[in-house]
Amino acid sequence: MTETQGLQAREKQELQEESTRPGAVFRPDIDILEDRDGYVVYADLPGVDDKSIDVRLDRGTLTLDARLATLPETGWNPIHAEYRIGSYHREFRISEDIDTAGVSAKMHNGVLELVLPKSANRRPRAIQVQAG
Amino acid sequence: MAQYTLYRPWAAAPWSPFDQLRREMDGLLSRFGGSPAWSGDWRGVFPAVNLYETADAYQLTAELPGVAPDEIRVSLEGSTVTLEGERKIDYENHKETSLHRRERQAGAFRRAFELPGVVDGEKVDAVHRNGVLMLRLPKTPEAQPRQISVRSS
Repeated sequence: MTETQGLQAREKQELQEESTRPGAVFRPDIDILEDRDGYVVYADLPGVDDKSIDVRLDRGTLTLDARLATLPETGWNPIHAEYRIGSYHREFRISEDIDTAGVSAKMHNGVLELVLPKSANRRPRAIQVQAG
Repeated sequence: MAQYTLYRPWAAAPWSPFDQLRREMDGLLSRFGGSPAWSGDWRGVFPAVNLYETADAYQLTAELPGVAPDEIRVSLEGSTVTLEGERKIDYENHKETSLHRRERQAGAFRRAFELPGVVDGEKVDAVHRNGVLMLRLPKTPEAQPRQISVRSS
């Protein structure tokens, strides 16, 4: 499906419970797709590159942590601010068994694409029906 | 602090005057690392931008994750910077796919901003890195602060 609706900016959702880290922590917007082979997660992480992101999968809980690689330079004096910057954190449960060896992740233009294949024994299998 | 005016005649969604006022107030008052200047489910015209000033330039940043550099058009007319383009999300290739969660939005955008000072259009530099557009807009020499040496008489 292709969406071409009017695009709006949303305020970044700040995580209030995060207090162990310095700076603001935001909850990135995500899409989760599932097909017979597995899940694909897309997360908007503007300012993050492939070296500043950490993805963990532990007992069905997927955790994303990311730091900013693209930052305003020191000496830039802010005169108008519509968005705030900080790190990103999000976790959610993935219900089915994931083939952890097959997980892959890549960053492209500030968007994470995370491919989580299902374990082979969880995939629906086509059973051949033979004529008797 | 420089007065900063936002033009949004092409806004996809109309703003309530209250939101607009609040946003401008927030924009003027907020500082990085400070306490949140706004709260609640704030919505504005995409993309949200920040503007910084140095002695010799303005630096405009916009978060445009998922927008390819060649899908962003930046233009400058006088002191008005215009950003336009489209953020595309296309899951058509994913056959037999179910969407468990849909938070990311797609669509066309166009925004224009009036800069608080005069810039040299020939020297504008635009970089799109990690989904963040960074525009460096050098001030004209006349618009830069100058050190005046004081002579003793």
